Amino acid sequence: MTAQSSSDSSQNALFIERVCAPYLTGAQNEDGGWGFQRGSQSRVEPTAWALLALLESASDDAADDATARGLQCLLKAQLTDGSWPAAAGQDQGCWVTSLACLALLSQGQFRESLARGICWLTDERPGEAGRWFRLLRRLRGVRHTVAQNDFYYGWSWTSGTASWVEPTALALIAMRNSPPELLPAQVQSRIQLAEAMLYDRMSPGGGWNCGNPLVYGVPGEPQVCQTAWALLALRDHSERPEVEKSLAWLEANWDRIESPGTLALACIALDVLGRNHADIRNSLCNFYEKNEIMWNVPAVSAAVLAMSGRHEWATRSNPRKKT
Amino acid sequence: MPRNTPQLLPPFSRPASRVAIRRASSYQSDLSALLYETLHVFDLPVRAKTVLLKANLVGLDPRCLTNTHPAVIGAAREAFLRLGAAEVLIGDGPSMDRDSQAVVESMRLREYAGPLSRTFVDLNVDDVERVVLKTHASRLKELYLPRTVRGVDFLVSMPKLKTHHWAGVTLSLKNMFGIVPGGCYGWPKNILHWAGIDNSILDLNAAARPDFAIVDGIIGMEGNGPIQGESRPCGVLILGDDPVAVDSTCARVMGLLPERIKHIARAATLLGHMEPDKISQLGESIESTRTPFALLKEFSVLREA
Repeated sequence: MTAQSSSDSSQNALFIERVCAPYLTGAQNEDGGWGFQRGSQSRVEPTAWALLALLESASDDAADDATARGLQCLLKAQLTDGSWPAAAGQDQGCWVTSLACLALLSQGQFRESLARGICWLTDERPGEAGRWFRLLRRLRGVRHTVAQNDFYYGWSWTSGTASWVEPTALALIAMRNSPPELLPAQVQSRIQLAEAMLYDRMSPGGGWNCGNPLVYGVPGEPQVCQTAWALLALRDHSERPEVEKSLAWLEANWDRIESPGTLALACIALDVLGRNHADIRNSLCNFYEKNEIMWNVPAVSAAVLAMSGRHEWATRSNPRKKT
Repeated sequence: MPRNTPQLLPPFSRPASRVAIRRASSYQSDLSALLYETLHVFDLPVRAKTVLLKANLVGLDPRCLTNTHPAVIGAAREAFLRLGAAEVLIGDGPSMDRDSQAVVESMRLREYAGPLSRTFVDLNVDDVERVVLKTHASRLKELYLPRTVRGVDFLVSMPKLKTHHWAGVTLSLKNMFGIVPGGCYGWPKNILHWAGIDNSILDLNAAARPDFAIVDGIIGMEGNGPIQGESRPCGVLILGDDPVAVDSTCARVMGLLPERIKHIARAATLLGHMEPDKISQLGESIESTRTPFALLKEFSVLREA
């Protein structure tokens, strides 16, 4: 995907092989899943992250075995309605369903599970899409506290709550990368509404925060993490001025990042949108040397995905009709 | 093993609470000595125990304007260690930024609290356990809460003295929103907003009532808090053994009526004292430290006459 020199590529491969892959295989739990930290409870989010990383970089038998056991753990965690819960024991699915779908995407044999996950996502509507919410809003009149158009909606973190940038972006990426034959008919209208919601929630100067561009008339500061996710979700819209403006914001701000997880995400987003910053990867390695102890499974996984430079998990296919 | 949570008792059956107001003109003061001296008076049961300092780390804060100041967190850690605590952890689950490492690096926490690898607990991604809520003030029936919060011996809520554009103020009771794990409920923890902020605060504090509160009021925030407000120097640390009494005292110092702040008034029915005659005041008086905070006009009703 990116123009990495061959010496950079081999350095990155070494970093994955010597630092990241052993961390991930060593952090896998008995049940095949991963927790956020080594030795913590298996959860869907870190399991999906670790799988994405290992699937994109797996190079030996140990990694293949870890991947196979991880996929089984992920499949076992799926609820009967097709969604995935954030933690074992929860009986309601949530935003991690998008991540689980992304992890299953490269594995043809799990199409049935993937299809059920995508179906759940398509049917899942946030609280502001409900009739009662809309009726109440009409009766109360326009709220001036936050400046946003609630008629555009995407996905929430948990069922029955409001749309936010990150879960919306994740769902869009999962849907866009899914095989077209798995997508329910109504998916296009959901995608259009969700994209409109992302544009509506952009900060005035470009970039995104969690989803509050203006509160009481004061612009909210954009954040790198959410900006990276939104850009990945809108990667087919590179001609739109909002995307251009947000990319410019990210390019101007990535060198202020002080943690590996966010830096890796910024690197992936810039790569996928065709902005090459080779020095980001060096910064990522430096973070490890400086502070390896604070790394966790999602951060290490994101580092693998950034270092690999392939980004197939985020750019697999495009069933979306241009709008 | 869940810790022995303080009992939920109506105010009439509770003994008086103790709240201390101490002056501290800046973050460069010897806060550790000040806190040690004050905590010593409270004679807290922390010897050989594990203490969790639940700070208020909202998001990235390079200018230390929105989060509990790292100097106060570091000083509290040192003071509890001097009091004999076996371990003093620092934790929070930032609500606006999911990268907690970026948050603690932005505010230079390690410079004040030492190496964080074994001290800092990211409550957003901690192991969780199901907790059935006892109070049902909101429509939430259960929450998955961090094991660390449930497992420590002594829980200290450490907010910054701030106004809040939804709840009026954000002090030691509202600060407990940070224990709800983003890894389960997202960033922000929107499930609490939809369940009703004021009632969720009551449910959450009933499920994990802080044993103690230390409020960073050296520089607070007024107006459109908790993120976009203006700095308000106030020069105090407010601490006590009852989060409701501490928040009521903070509100009075801010020139507000605690009985008009919904979540404080509701918490006073079950979790602690709001009435001045049931709060034993130590250190400075409220009158001598009163610093009226600017409010959004939606909250002008909270102001004292």
